[in-house]
Amino acid sequence: MQLLKRLQRLFRPRKVDSDLNNELRFHLEKEVELNIARGMTAEEARRQALIAFGGVQQTREMVRRLRWTGLVEAFAQDLRYGGRMLRKSPGFTLACVTILALGIGMNAAIFSLIEAVLFRALPAEHPQELVLLRWRAQHPAKAHGESVYGDCAFTVGDMMSDGCSFSLPFLNQVRSQTNMLSGLAAFAGAPRLDVSVSSREPATVVENGEFVSGDFFPTLAIRAALGQLLGPADDTPASAPKVVLSDAYWKRAFAADPRVVGRTIRINTVAFTIAGVAEARFSGLTPGSQYDLWLPLASRTQLYPESVSQDNKSSNWWLVIVGRLNPGTPATRAQAAMTLLFRNQTLHGEKPLFADADEPRIELVPAQAGLDGARADTLKPLYVLMLAVGLVLLIACANIAGLLLARAAAREKEIAVRLALGARRGRLVRQLLTESLMLSFAGGALGLVVATWGARVINALSGAPNFTPHLDTRVLAFTAAVAILTGLLFGLAPAFRSRRVDVAPALKTGSADGRHRRTWWNLGNALVVMQVALAVVALVSAGFLVHTLANLKRTEIGFDAHNLLVFGVDPPQASYKGAQVDQLYRDLQEKFSALPGVTSVTYSWTPLLNRWMFQMTIHPPDTPETTQANAGVLPVGPKFFETMRIPFRMGQDFSAADFASQAAKPTKPGEPPKPGTAAAPAIVNEAFVKLHLHGMDPMGRHIEDSLPDDPKQPRGPGWRIIGVVSDAKYSNLRDEITPTIYVPSTSNAFFSIRSAGDPMRLVAAVRETVNRRDNGLAVYGVSTESERIDTLLFQERYLARLSAFFAMLALALACTGIYGLLSYEVTRRTRELGIRMALGAQRAHAIRLILSQGLLLALAGAAAGIAASLAVGRLFQSLVYKVRSADPPTLAAVSLLLLIVALAACYIPARRATRVDPLVALRYE
Amino acid sequence: MGEQIDLLQGTLDLLILKTLALEPMHGWGIAQRIQQVSQEALQVGQGSLYPALARLEQRGWIAAEWSVSDNNRRARFYSLTAAGTRQLKKELGEWERLSAAIALVLKQS
Repeated sequence: MQLLKRLQRLFRPRKVDSDLNNELRFHLEKEVELNIARGMTAEEARRQALIAFGGVQQTREMVRRLRWTGLVEAFAQDLRYGGRMLRKSPGFTLACVTILALGIGMNAAIFSLIEAVLFRALPAEHPQELVLLRWRAQHPAKAHGESVYGDCAFTVGDMMSDGCSFSLPFLNQVRSQTNMLSGLAAFAGAPRLDVSVSSREPATVVENGEFVSGDFFPTLAIRAALGQLLGPADDTPASAPKVVLSDAYWKRAFAADPRVVGRTIRINTVAFTIAGVAEARFSGLTPGSQYDLWLPLASRTQLYPESVSQDNKSSNWWLVIVGRLNPGTPATRAQAAMTLLFRNQTLHGEKPLFADADEPRIELVPAQAGLDGARADTLKPLYVLMLAVGLVLLIACANIAGLLLARAAAREKEIAVRLALGARRGRLVRQLLTESLMLSFAGGALGLVVATWGARVINALSGAPNFTPHLDTRVLAFTAAVAILTGLLFGLAPAFRSRRVDVAPALKTGSADGRHRRTWWNLGNALVVMQVALAVVALVSAGFLVHTLANLKRTEIGFDAHNLLVFGVDPPQASYKGAQVDQLYRDLQEKFSALPGVTSVTYSWTPLLNRWMFQMTIHPPDTPETTQANAGVLPVGPKFFETMRIPFRMGQDFSAADFASQAAKPTKPGEPPKPGTAAAPAIVNEAFVKLHLHGMDPMGRHIEDSLPDDPKQPRGPGWRIIGVVSDAKYSNLRDEITPTIYVPSTSNAFFSIRSAGDPMRLVAAVRETVNRRDNGLAVYGVSTESERIDTLLFQERYLARLSAFFAMLALALACTGIYGLLSYEVTRRTRELGIRMALGAQRAHAIRLILSQGLLLALAGAAAGIAASLAVGRLFQSLVYKVRSADPPTLAAVSLLLLIVALAACYIPARRATRVDPLVALRYE
Repeated sequence: MGEQIDLLQGTLDLLILKTLALEPMHGWGIAQRIQQVSQEALQVGQGSLYPALARLEQRGWIAAEWSVSDNNRRARFYSLTAAGTRQLKKELGEWERLSAAIALVLKQS
């Protein structure tokens, strides 16, 4: 109680003051009463009392100072004493600090990564003023195209749909609302760009360019490291194309040459002037984005002459809009004004995209929260790791609590002496807690070193180095908080045990034994149970992820991924039009086939297992007219099934005539079909047959497009099945086999070359072949198919490895902890065992008694751990692949190991204890 | 009112402890009791009383709590702790030895 009051006073000095004031007032009143009793008038009594009373302020000061310095002095004393105690047993101190540094450090490391993803401010001036425009409606918009570039999350659903992509006409309307926003910034990711730095060198591919509005850089107030950034004057149809480089790209592609400003580079064969280089801290507004180039929106006219009409449609939503709120305008008013604009355009435009009942509206969300980009994907594995290191830290705490408990027992004599000399128990508890906190703070300080190092390693392993962790105040605060918590956690147990020490017997025997009521459920035992449980949870969680990785590796992909070279060739729209594209691919296919070592060549819209999938809605045969179903559609070149080694079940591959008929009416995936065309020849997979054709003969069957949303739109021509192939995975290892329609390819594509030997040996010849055909064409995304599958498993692999590492650490800590605690508890019972033996107990019986108690503890822990890990398994649901939440082999193995440790920890000291001569045991301290 | 005596450093602590050994008391009561028992020779002003009480409380020799005094008024009552009792015993011993020693010296001359 004393300690509590003291703390209360420490944190509420005002309470001290008011206490004293009340006390002094009471004193004065009593003086006045006394004076009245002596016969003075009320007034005279008060006057005399005040005179005698003297200055109050001085008293107040003195008391206040006394109370504070008293506390500080006591604290300094505790620190000095604690330091002495820790120095006295350097081995113990070193062990504790090392364990804590690892435990706290790894937590701080993961937290610094999470912090970098979650809280890092946007790289703009006054980022708190920036708002992101989001739309929301009850249903998805009808008949509109929507592009997303990973800047923010979106939902497509029948109850609620939302997103942050808008049309160019809408952007122009928002821009007219100048009184609401002091600035606007619109941007959209660019497709791959072929960049030629000079005419001599072949083009290279830039995967991450961004189109930005002319007001993008001024609104965000980004500074130029070199030259100038884009301005509104650079974003008009009449302006000459200019480009801004990112600092990283400037260093990479131009070796940080300061003379790049004003130079001309060719992007997709269009000449662009380099305007400048952006400041190094800016690599894109959305956290985690890393762009190489920024191009003005207007330059799309030159780059994609065929898409301009598409760009300008109000039904094509592709721009992300960020605004800077006018300081005087409340967000709600701006939001209402923009909702009005949005409703006007989507409800009453040339083509209504929403119905009134959909309640389309605009929401302005802080850009910091709204531009969550890659955040969710990056965070999920980090949370899993946080859980893993949290478990390690808890086990470390239990471990150290065990060590301190043993030490506290050894120090009972010292504590008894201090009690006898008049120390208060509260003060002793404080002393012990101070020592614990000194340990945990030392561990925390050293942990910061572990954290910087660990965060760097984990960041490199995770393959997401876009978020660089820093040791900033938030991370330091977290580390300090963790240090305090751990210090209290492992310090409280021994501190409270010390309160139970009885002075006389402790001094007499020098041992705690014999007078502590031997409760079966004491602290040490609780710690054993806790450690077993935590270790089980850590290992079972790691087991989930390891099994997931193994399952994914074993999964049947349906094609032969060995000896396949994959790369893209992307003819720019500016120089290849219509049938020229198809011609180029056929040409290259022929040339590649002639290369030595090549077995077979094909191309397809995307390589298999490349995370991309092109989906269309179809109308399954024999279902009501309005029924829709999703099917994957993959445009493929000649010899696709032969090259990928996907066997035919029925029918045969596309003929030259099939390709010719499709090339005559080139359509890109996603573009509306031209009316009156014949159904496209198609090859479907078995999953499609099983799901949609129910025993019908697939050959020659016509599959219809689903009814268009807009009744005025023509229905697509559909597909005519000419063959059935066995199932193969399309975009991802985790996906179930998608019902898939293969169609003849007529658009840009990736090549897949099957080689006789190592496919990478073909790369040089492939590049040369492409360059000889057209020097402006870039070969990009070169890899083998096996490497591609490996990168798909990247996150799984790194999660499995790291969590396995942490789980092993947890297990090692738990084993030493359990062993230490149990063997200590048994050793303490040496005297009890001696008495039992003296009274005639059998050795085997005594040992069995001890073993069964240890076994019971371990079993209790294992049961608690299994129950907890079932709950954790549910948390992991989205991360695991074909792993049941209860994984009996892992559970059994982990529990068995911990049981063996517990038994060994009991058996060894128990055997020693029962061998001891009872007389010696009785005298045993 | 008789002639007043200045208290020796540390003596006030002893007087307070001794006074509180009889029964828990509030600040004013302590001052009054010392005054009465010393037959008005020792006057304890608030300026020295309350810092002394705070000091003793800080050392853990006395404890304080709010409670009701006469006429239902709330007052802060001080009482001796176990450590305070021990301290009183110790200081009494020291005081007796000191005053005996002083008396011896004074008698000599």
